Amino acid sequence: MNTATAGKVELRIPARAEFLSVARLAVAAIASRMDFDLDAIEDIKTGVGEACTNVIQHAGTTETDREIHVVCSLEGAQLVVEVRDAGPGFEPEQCRELVDLDQLPPESLPDSGYGLLLIAALMDDFQCLSQPGVGTLVRMVKRCTRAA
Amino acid sequence: MDFDVKSRTVDAQTAILAPVGEVDLLTAPRVKERIAQLTEEGINQIIVDCSRIEYLDSTGLGVLVGALKRLREQEGDLRLVNPGDRLMRVLEITRLVNVFPIHATEDEALSSLAAGGASPQ
Repeated sequence: MNTATAGKVELRIPARAEFLSVARLAVAAIASRMDFDLDAIEDIKTGVGEACTNVIQHAGTTETDREIHVVCSLEGAQLVVEVRDAGPGFEPEQCRELVDLDQLPPESLPDSGYGLLLIAALMDDFQCLSQPGVGTLVRMVKRCTRAA
Repeated sequence: MDFDVKSRTVDAQTAILAPVGEVDLLTAPRVKERIAQLTEEGINQIIVDCSRIEYLDSTGLGVLVGALKRLREQEGDLRLVNPGDRLMRVLEITRLVNVFPIHATEDEALSSLAAGGASPQ
Protein backbone atom coordinates (compact mmCIF):
# COMPACT_ATOMS: atom_id res chain seq x y z
CA MET A 1 0.00 0.00 0.00
CA ASN A 2 1.21 3.47 -0.82
CA THR A 3 1.98 5.06 2.54
CA ALA A 4 0.96 8.46 1.16
CA THR A 5 -2.60 7.17 0.96
CA ALA A 6 -2.68 5.00 4.05
CA GLY A 7 -3.93 6.08 7.42
CA LYS A 8 -6.94 6.94 9.43
CA VAL A 9 -8.63 10.27 10.17
CA GLU A 10 -11.30 10.60 12.80
CA LEU A 11 -13.68 13.47 13.21
CA ARG A 12 -16.28 14.10 15.86
CA ILE A 13 -18.88 16.75 15.18
CA PRO A 14 -21.98 17.82 17.08
CA ALA A 15 -25.06 16.20 15.53
CA ARG A 16 -26.38 19.53 14.33
CA ALA A 17 -27.09 20.83 10.86
CA GLU A 18 -24.59 23.70 11.27
CA PHE A 19 -21.74 21.17 11.25
CA LEU A 20 -22.74 19.21 8.16
CA SER A 21 -20.61 21.34 5.88
CA VAL A 22 -17.64 20.79 8.20
CA ALA A 23 -17.94 17.03 7.77
CA ARG A 24 -18.36 17.33 4.00
CA LEU A 25 -15.38 19.64 3.63
CA ALA A 26 -13.13 17.56 5.86
CA VAL A 27 -13.86 14.34 4.00
CA ALA A 28 -13.48 16.07 0.65
CA ALA A 29 -10.06 17.32 1.76
CA ILE A 30 -9.05 13.79 2.72
CA ALA A 31 -10.30 12.37 -0.57
CA SER A 32 -8.42 15.03 -2.50
CA ARG A 33 -5.17 13.80 -0.95
CA MET A 34 -5.84 10.48 -2.63
CA ASP A 35 -6.14 10.12 -6.37
CA PHE A 36 -9.88 10.60 -6.70
CA ASP A 37 -11.15 12.73 -9.54
CA LEU A 38 -13.45 15.68 -8.84
CA ASP A 39 -16.63 13.72 -9.54
CA ALA A 40 -15.61 11.00 -7.10
CA ILE A 41 -14.78 13.61 -4.45
CA GLU A 42 -18.25 15.09 -4.90
CA ASP A 43 -19.74 11.58 -4.60
CA ILE A 44 -17.90 11.08 -1.31
CA LYS A 45 -18.98 14.50 -0.03
CA THR A 46 -22.58 13.69 -0.83
CA GLY A 47 -22.36 10.23 0.73
CA VAL A 48 -20.92 11.57 3.97
CA GLY A 49 -23.32 14.52 4.02
CA GLU A 50 -26.30 12.22 3.62
CA ALA A 51 -25.08 9.80 6.27
CA CYS A 52 -24.58 12.64 8.77
CA THR A 53 -27.94 14.16 7.82
CA ASN A 54 -29.55 10.82 8.52
CA VAL A 55 -28.05 10.80 12.00
CA ILE A 56 -29.26 14.33 12.76
CA GLN A 57 -32.76 13.62 11.46
CA HIS A 58 -33.04 10.58 13.66
CA ALA A 59 -31.66 12.35 16.72
CA GLY A 60 -34.17 13.60 19.25
CA THR A 61 -34.50 17.36 19.35
CA THR A 62 -33.78 17.38 23.07
CA GLU A 63 -30.50 15.54 22.66
CA THR A 64 -28.38 18.48 21.61
CA ASP A 65 -25.13 17.02 22.94
CA ARG A 66 -25.10 14.06 20.56
CA GLU A 67 -22.04 13.60 18.41
CA ILE A 68 -21.46 12.08 15.03
CA HIS A 69 -18.30 10.05 14.71
CA VAL A 70 -16.79 10.00 11.23
CA VAL A 71 -13.87 7.66 10.61
CA CYS A 72 -12.05 7.82 7.29
CA SER A 73 -9.71 4.94 6.55
CA LEU A 74 -7.34 5.56 3.67
CA GLU A 75 -6.59 2.14 2.27
CA GLY A 76 -4.47 2.81 -0.78
CA ALA A 77 -6.88 2.71 -3.69
CA GLN A 78 -9.99 3.04 -1.60
CA LEU A 79 -11.45 5.27 1.04
CA VAL A 80 -13.63 3.70 3.68
CA VAL A 81 -15.84 6.10 5.62
CA GLU A 82 -17.80 5.05 8.66
CA VAL A 83 -20.40 7.38 10.09
CA ARG A 84 -21.74 6.25 13.41
CA ASP A 85 -23.79 7.59 16.25
CA ALA A 86 -25.18 6.30 19.49
CA GLY A 87 -28.63 7.63 18.78
CA PRO A 88 -32.01 5.93 18.82
CA GLY A 89 -31.37 4.03 15.59
CA PHE A 90 -34.16 2.78 13.40
CA GLU A 91 -35.52 -0.46 12.07
CA PRO A 92 -33.18 -2.06 9.50
CA GLU A 93 -36.12 -2.53 7.14
CA GLN A 94 -36.10 1.23 6.63
CA CYS A 95 -32.81 1.01 4.68
CA ARG A 96 -34.17 -1.57 2.28
CA GLU A 97 -37.38 0.35 1.86
CA LEU A 98 -35.50 3.53 0.97
CA VAL A 99 -33.30 1.84 -1.60
CA ASP A 100 -36.41 0.28 -3.15
CA LEU A 101 -37.67 3.79 -3.92
CA ASP A 102 -35.98 3.29 -7.25
CA GLN A 103 -38.75 0.89 -8.17
CA LEU A 104 -41.56 3.40 -7.57
CA PRO A 105 -43.28 5.28 -10.39
CA PRO A 106 -41.89 8.83 -10.38
CA GLU A 107 -45.13 10.55 -9.39
CA SER A 108 -45.39 8.36 -6.29
CA LEU A 109 -42.00 9.38 -4.95
CA PRO A 110 -42.24 10.87 -1.46
CA ASP A 111 -40.97 14.20 -0.13
CA SER A 112 -38.19 12.55 1.85
CA GLY A 113 -36.07 9.45 2.03
CA TYR A 114 -33.62 10.06 -0.80
CA GLY A 115 -30.47 10.12 1.33
CA LEU A 116 -29.70 6.43 1.56
CA LEU A 117 -30.67 6.02 -2.09
CA LEU A 118 -28.01 8.58 -3.01
CA ILE A 119 -25.36 6.94 -0.84
CA ALA A 120 -26.08 3.55 -2.37
CA ALA A 121 -25.80 4.95 -5.89
CA LEU A 122 -22.78 7.20 -5.41
CA MET A 123 -20.56 4.94 -3.34
CA ASP A 124 -19.07 1.63 -4.49
CA ASP A 125 -20.13 -0.21 -1.38
CA PHE A 126 -22.60 0.76 1.30
CA GLN A 127 -23.92 -0.83 4.44
CA CYS A 128 -26.39 0.62 6.88
CA LEU A 129 -26.53 -1.12 10.22
CA SER A 130 -29.01 0.26 12.67
CA GLN A 131 -30.56 -1.06 15.80
CA PRO A 132 -33.25 0.72 17.79
CA GLY A 133 -31.79 1.89 21.08
CA VAL A 134 -28.20 1.17 20.08
CA GLY A 135 -27.35 3.46 17.19
CA THR A 136 -26.56 3.51 13.54
CA LEU A 137 -23.47 2.75 11.50
CA VAL A 138 -23.25 3.71 7.86
CA ARG A 139 -20.18 2.23 6.20
CA MET A 140 -19.26 3.46 2.73
CA VAL A 141 -16.45 2.57 0.39
CA LYS A 142 -15.25 4.54 -2.61
CA ARG A 143 -12.62 2.99 -4.84
CA CYS A 144 -10.22 5.15 -6.73
CA THR A 145 -10.28 4.08 -10.33
CA ARG A 146 -7.24 6.21 -11.21
CA ALA A 147 -5.00 4.66 -8.56
CA ALA A 148 -2.29 2.28 -9.63
CA MET B 1 -20.53 29.74 3.33
CA ASP B 2 -23.15 32.43 2.91
CA PHE B 3 -26.48 31.10 1.78
CA ASP B 4 -29.22 33.17 0.24
CA VAL B 5 -32.53 32.63 -1.50
CA LYS B 6 -33.23 35.29 -4.07
CA SER B 7 -36.66 35.63 -5.63
CA ARG B 8 -38.53 37.92 -7.96
CA THR B 9 -42.04 37.86 -9.24
CA VAL B 10 -42.66 37.80 -12.97
CA ASP B 11 -46.43 38.24 -12.82
CA ALA B 12 -49.25 37.65 -10.36
CA GLN B 13 -48.86 33.88 -10.65
CA THR B 14 -45.22 33.36 -11.47
CA ALA B 15 -41.97 33.81 -9.59
CA ILE B 16 -38.32 32.97 -10.06
CA LEU B 17 -36.51 31.51 -7.09
CA ALA B 18 -32.72 31.34 -6.99
CA PRO B 19 -31.03 29.58 -4.07
CA VAL B 20 -27.39 30.64 -3.83
CA GLY B 21 -24.96 28.29 -2.11
CA GLU B 22 -25.37 24.89 -0.51
CA VAL B 23 -28.89 23.56 0.06
CA ASP B 24 -28.77 21.07 2.89
CA LEU B 25 -30.47 20.26 6.18
CA LEU B 26 -29.41 23.67 7.54
CA THR B 27 -30.53 25.80 4.61
CA ALA B 28 -33.35 23.82 2.93
CA PRO B 29 -35.90 25.20 5.45
CA ARG B 30 -35.13 28.70 4.14
CA VAL B 31 -35.98 27.58 0.62
CA LYS B 32 -39.17 25.97 1.91
CA GLU B 33 -40.07 29.13 3.80
CA ARG B 34 -39.56 31.35 0.75
CA ILE B 35 -41.71 29.06 -1.38
CA ALA B 36 -44.43 29.18 1.28
CA GLN B 37 -44.26 32.99 1.29
CA LEU B 38 -44.62 33.08 -2.48
CA THR B 39 -47.60 30.73 -2.49
CA GLU B 40 -49.24 32.83 0.22
CA GLU B 41 -48.91 35.79 -2.15
CA GLY B 42 -50.84 33.86 -4.81
CA ILE B 43 -47.90 32.49 -6.77
CA ASN B 44 -48.56 29.02 -8.14
CA GLN B 45 -45.82 28.82 -10.79
CA ILE B 46 -42.25 28.79 -9.53
CA ILE B 47 -39.16 28.59 -11.65
CA VAL B 48 -36.15 27.50 -9.64
CA ASP B 49 -32.93 28.89 -11.07
CA CYS B 50 -30.42 26.18 -10.12
CA SER B 51 -27.38 27.83 -11.64
CA ARG B 52 -25.98 29.01 -8.31
CA ILE B 53 -26.79 25.92 -6.26
CA GLU B 54 -23.40 24.58 -5.23
CA TYR B 55 -24.71 21.47 -3.50
CA LEU B 56 -28.16 20.05 -2.95
CA ASP B 57 -28.82 17.16 -0.61
CA SER B 58 -31.80 14.91 0.03
CA THR B 59 -33.53 17.46 2.25
CA GLY B 60 -33.29 20.01 -0.56
CA LEU B 61 -34.76 17.47 -2.94
CA GLY B 62 -37.57 16.86 -0.47
CA VAL B 63 -38.38 20.56 -0.34
CA LEU B 64 -38.54 20.75 -4.13
CA VAL B 65 -40.71 17.62 -4.40
CA GLY B 66 -43.06 18.89 -1.69
CA ALA B 67 -43.35 22.26 -3.42
CA LEU B 68 -44.00 20.64 -6.79
CA LYS B 69 -46.84 18.58 -5.36
CA ARG B 70 -48.42 21.55 -3.58
CA LEU B 71 -48.16 23.81 -6.62
CA ARG B 72 -49.70 21.17 -8.90
CA GLU B 73 -52.56 20.82 -6.42
CA GLN B 74 -53.11 24.53 -7.01
CA GLU B 75 -53.03 23.97 -10.76
CA GLY B 76 -49.56 25.43 -10.91
CA ASP B 77 -46.14 23.96 -11.44
CA LEU B 78 -42.49 24.07 -10.44
CA ARG B 79 -39.78 24.15 -13.09
CA LEU B 80 -36.03 23.74 -12.76
CA VAL B 81 -33.71 25.85 -14.84
CA ASN B 82 -30.06 25.26 -15.61
CA PRO B 83 -29.20 22.49 -13.15
CA GLY B 84 -25.49 21.73 -13.32
CA ASP B 85 -24.03 18.29 -13.97
CA ARG B 86 -23.91 17.47 -10.30
CA LEU B 87 -27.55 18.29 -9.64
CA MET B 88 -28.56 16.42 -12.79
CA ARG B 89 -26.77 13.36 -11.48
CA VAL B 90 -28.68 13.56 -8.20
CA LEU B 91 -31.96 13.99 -10.11
CA GLU B 92 -31.17 11.01 -12.31
CA ILE B 93 -30.27 8.73 -9.40
CA THR B 94 -33.48 9.57 -7.58
CA ARG B 95 -35.47 9.44 -10.86
CA LEU B 96 -36.75 12.92 -10.06
CA VAL B 97 -35.47 13.86 -13.50
CA ASN B 98 -38.73 12.28 -14.66
CA VAL B 99 -40.79 14.38 -12.27
CA PHE B 100 -39.45 17.92 -12.63
CA PRO B 101 -39.79 19.77 -15.90
CA ILE B 102 -36.25 20.96 -16.64
CA HIS B 103 -35.33 23.86 -18.90
CA ALA B 104 -32.05 25.29 -20.13
CA THR B 105 -33.03 28.92 -19.57
CA GLU B 106 -35.50 31.06 -17.64
CA ASP B 107 -36.97 32.32 -20.90
CA GLU B 108 -37.62 28.79 -22.07
CA ALA B 109 -39.32 27.94 -18.78
CA LEU B 110 -41.43 31.10 -18.88
CA SER B 111 -42.48 30.48 -22.48
CA SER B 112 -43.41 26.91 -21.67
CA LEU B 113 -45.49 28.00 -18.66
CA ALA B 114 -47.17 30.75 -20.67
CA ALA B 115 -48.09 28.23 -23.34
CA GLY B 116 -49.37 25.84 -20.69
CA GLY B 117 -46.68 23.55 -21.97
CA ALA B 118 -45.27 20.41 -20.51
CA SER B 119 -41.70 19.50 -19.78
CA PRO B 120 -39.25 19.76 -22.68
CA GLN B 121 -38.25 16.17 -21.96
